[in-house]
Amino acid sequence: MKAGEPKAAPVIITPSAGVISFPEMARLGNGVPVYLIDKGTVDLMRIECVFQAGQIMEEVHLSALSASAMLTEGTRSYDAATINDLIDSTGAALYHLADKDTASLLTITLTRKLDEVLALAREVLFRPSFPDHEFRLLTDRRIQAFLTSRQKTSVIAREAFYEALCGAENPYGRIARESDYRSLTTGDLRRFHQKHYLPLNMYITVAGRYPEQTLPLLEKHFGINGRDGSGRPVRPILHFATARPVKIFCEIPGSVQSTVRLGWDGITRNHPDYQGLQVATTILGGYFGSRLMRNIREEKGYTYGIHAVAGSFREKGYIVIMTDVANEYREAAVKEIKKEIRILCEDEVTDEEMTLVRNHLMGETARMFDGPFTIAETVRGIIDHETGHDYYNRFTETIRSITPGKIKELFNTYFNIDEAFEIIAGAR
Amino acid sequence: MLTLVSLPYFVFMIKFERHTLTNGLRVIVHHDESTPMVTTNILYDAGSRDEDPRATGFAHLFEHLMFGGTPSVPFFDVPVMMAGGENNAFTNNDITNYYITLPSNNLEAALWLEADRMRGLDLREERLNNQKSVVTEEFRQRYLNQPYGDLQLLLRPLAYKVHPYRWPAIGMDISHIEKADSRSAKEFYDRFYNPSNCILSVAGSVDPEVVFTLAEERFGHIPSGEHNGRRLEQEPEQDERRELTVHRNVPAAHLIMAFHTGPRVSRDFYVLDLLTDILAGYDSARFPSILIRKKELFSDADIYLSGEADPGLVIFSGRIREGIDIKDAEGAVTAELNHLAEEYVTTAELEKARNRYESNRLMSYMSAANKAFNLAYQEVLGDAEGINSEREQYMSVTAEEIMVASQCTFRPGNCSVIHYLPAKR
Repeated sequence: MKAGEPKAAPVIITPSAGVISFPEMARLGNGVPVYLIDKGTVDLMRIECVFQAGQIMEEVHLSALSASAMLTEGTRSYDAATINDLIDSTGAALYHLADKDTASLLTITLTRKLDEVLALAREVLFRPSFPDHEFRLLTDRRIQAFLTSRQKTSVIAREAFYEALCGAENPYGRIARESDYRSLTTGDLRRFHQKHYLPLNMYITVAGRYPEQTLPLLEKHFGINGRDGSGRPVRPILHFATARPVKIFCEIPGSVQSTVRLGWDGITRNHPDYQGLQVATTILGGYFGSRLMRNIREEKGYTYGIHAVAGSFREKGYIVIMTDVANEYREAAVKEIKKEIRILCEDEVTDEEMTLVRNHLMGETARMFDGPFTIAETVRGIIDHETGHDYYNRFTETIRSITPGKIKELFNTYFNIDEAFEIIAGAR
Repeated sequence: MLTLVSLPYFVFMIKFERHTLTNGLRVIVHHDESTPMVTTNILYDAGSRDEDPRATGFAHLFEHLMFGGTPSVPFFDVPVMMAGGENNAFTNNDITNYYITLPSNNLEAALWLEADRMRGLDLREERLNNQKSVVTEEFRQRYLNQPYGDLQLLLRPLAYKVHPYRWPAIGMDISHIEKADSRSAKEFYDRFYNPSNCILSVAGSVDPEVVFTLAEERFGHIPSGEHNGRRLEQEPEQDERRELTVHRNVPAAHLIMAFHTGPRVSRDFYVLDLLTDILAGYDSARFPSILIRKKELFSDADIYLSGEADPGLVIFSGRIREGIDIKDAEGAVTAELNHLAEEYVTTAELEKARNRYESNRLMSYMSAANKAFNLAYQEVLGDAEGINSEREQYMSVTAEEIMVASQCTFRPGNCSVIHYLPAKR
C-alpha cells in the first residue's frame, strides 16, 4: 500500500435513463418515412436507408447478401471504378449491410457534401447494373472468405445452432455452401433487387445536427416513385422445424480451443416477458460480474469470456450461452453452465445483486441514447422489430420494478436445460 | 477543381484545459455538454516494450490484475455498475489504458475507483494464477484459434531484432505468461503505476475546475513515484531483406511486407499515413483498383502504419487469389511501391485522402470516450494539443513529400516479408 490517507468513498447516485423520447418522423412526398435524430456537435450526417430486403425474402440462396454487396460495383450510369471514385472524392463512407431480416445502405458524410453524396446513394440504391466481371471477382472473394470461416470454431458453432433451432430450410437456419456461391447469377441479383429495393419498401433515419434541414435534399433524391404496378413485397410465412434437443459435435481438426454453444427456443421482442428475460440473462451472463463470468472465467479460468443472450430475429427468439474454452475444459464448462442455470431456477437472486443489475442495465440503456449516431442504431431496432415507440420507457420501468420472484419464475419458464441444443465445435 | 482547403468552412477544434497536481499527475478536461455521460480515461505510460524479454506479455497480464480488487474495493466492477457505468482497458506495445464511462453525476465515483487502484492493489498469488489461465485462453482465442491469427506473432521478431517491439503485447509465447510471479507484479506496479507516469483525461458534461478539485481530493495524497525511466535500445537500420515462409491449415496464401518507418511524432508518420489512404483507404484507392480489380491478384490488399511511439512499421497485408503465385503477387506490390518513388501522386488523390481524413477525424469526435482517450494519448506523445494540430500535419502533406518518404521507406533492404502459405495436403 502506498502512503497517504484517501478520502472516504463517495455516494453513488442511482443511474437513470430519464424519459426517452422517440424521434420525430416526417414523410417525403412519396410517403417514405424519415426519422429525424437531433443533437450532435460536429458537421457530420449519418443517413441510413433501410429496406425489408434481408435473407428471409430470398428465393435464391445468398441473393439478398450478394445484391447488397454489389450495389457499389457499378450502376447504369457509372462503372465500378467511376462510382467508387465519385463516392471517395466526397470523403463519405457508404456501407452496404444485409442480415437475416433487413438490408440497408448506411452513409456517413460531411454535412457540406450531402447533396453530392445523396445523389450517389440514390444511384447505387436504385440503378445498380450488377456487372458480370465485378460479380465474378466478388464471388471469388466470398468463397475464399467462406472457406476461411470453415476454420473458425465460433462461426461453425453459431451456424449449427441456428440450423438446429430453426431448421435447415428456414432462412434463419440455412447454412450456405460453396455450391450456393457458385450457382448464384447476376440475374438472381437483378430479380431480387427489382422486387425489394423500392422507395415504398424503405424508410430513412437521419442523424446529426439540424436533421430537418436535410429534408429538401432527401425529397430531391429519394422523393421518387417506384415502378408502376410493383407493390410492396409481403414477408413470407416462415416454417420452423421442431427439432428435438440434441448434442452436436462439429469437428475442426487442429483447433486449440472449442466453442461451446448451449441454447434453445426463446421469445421475440414483442412478447410480454421479453424485457424481463433481458434482465434474467444479464444476471446469468450479461456482464463482467455475471454468474457465468465469475464462475467460469474468474474462478476456474477456463475462458477469456462467456456470455448469455436472449436474442431475437424478427420472427424467432432464442436463448443462448456461448464461450470459447480450451479443448480439455469443454465438458466441464457445459456442466458448470447447467449448474449456474439450476441455481437460478431454485434460489431467488438477492436484493444486492438485483440492484447491481438494475443499475447496470439502466446505465446501458442511457448509453444507447447517448449521441445521435448511437440513437439512430437504437431507433432502427425499435422500427424493425415493431416493438412500439415507448419500448425503452417500458424497459426502464421493467428494470426498476422486476422482482427476484419474477426472475426465478422466468428462469423456470424459459431455461429448461433439458430442451437445450448442446453444440461443441473443436478438435476431436 | 476546388481543393478542400480553399473552401470556407469552420474547422472543428477540441477545447480542453490542463492542470498538473503537485504529485505530478497530469489532468486534462474536455467539456462536452451534448452528452449526459462522462468518460474518465487513465493512461499509464507502460506497455509491452517495458517488459523483460524472457517474460513477455506481462504488461497485459498486469492490466487484468488491475480489475482484481483492492482492500477497500474487492470487486472493481461492482461500484462501476452501481453507478451505471461501463469500463474496460487495453494494453499495447507502448501504453496501458483504462476507462470508465458513466452518468456525469457519478464522476466522483469513477475518480475514487481509479485513485483507489493506483494507491494499492490485491496482488495475491491466487488472483495472479487465475488471470494467467484467463490470459492463456485469450492468447489461444485471439492468436492461435483463428485462421491467420499468428501473423502478428511471426512478423514482430522478423522485423525487429533489438527493440522490444520484437514481441506483441499479448506476449511471445504462452509459456512466458506462466513465468509471471507476484514479486515481479509488485515491482511492475511500483515502477509504472504512479501519478508521475500517468495521465488522467476527462470528457463529458463536467466543469473543468470541478474536475481539477475532485482530482486533487482523490489522487492528491498518492506519492508521485518516479517517471518510468525508460531507456530502450533503438533498432538499428535494417539493410537486408528478411523473408519467412510458413505453411498453415488455411485456404489461401497471405503476403505480408513490412518496412521500418519513423516514430509516431515525426513528419514521416503523417506523410505515410496519408499515403496509406491513397493506396488502400477506400474502394477507389490504388491497391483495390489495381491489385484486386485490374490485375486480379489479391482478394484483399491493405496497407497501414503500426503507429507505435518509437519507430514503427508500414505494413502491407494481402490475401492472394487462388492459383496466383505469391512471388508474382509480391512483384506487383513492389511495382506499385516503386512507382511512388518515381511519379507524384495526383492532386485528386491527395484531395480524396484529405476529405476522408476530415470525415474520420469528425467521426472520432462523435464519442466523448474517444476524445478522452485521444487527449491522453496525444499528451503522452508530447502534447495534448496534438488532437487539434495534427489536422494541419495531414492537410499540408505534399506530393513531393510522399515521393521522398516512399524513396526512403520502400527499399528492398528495409523490408521483412512473410509468405504464409496453405499447408500441402
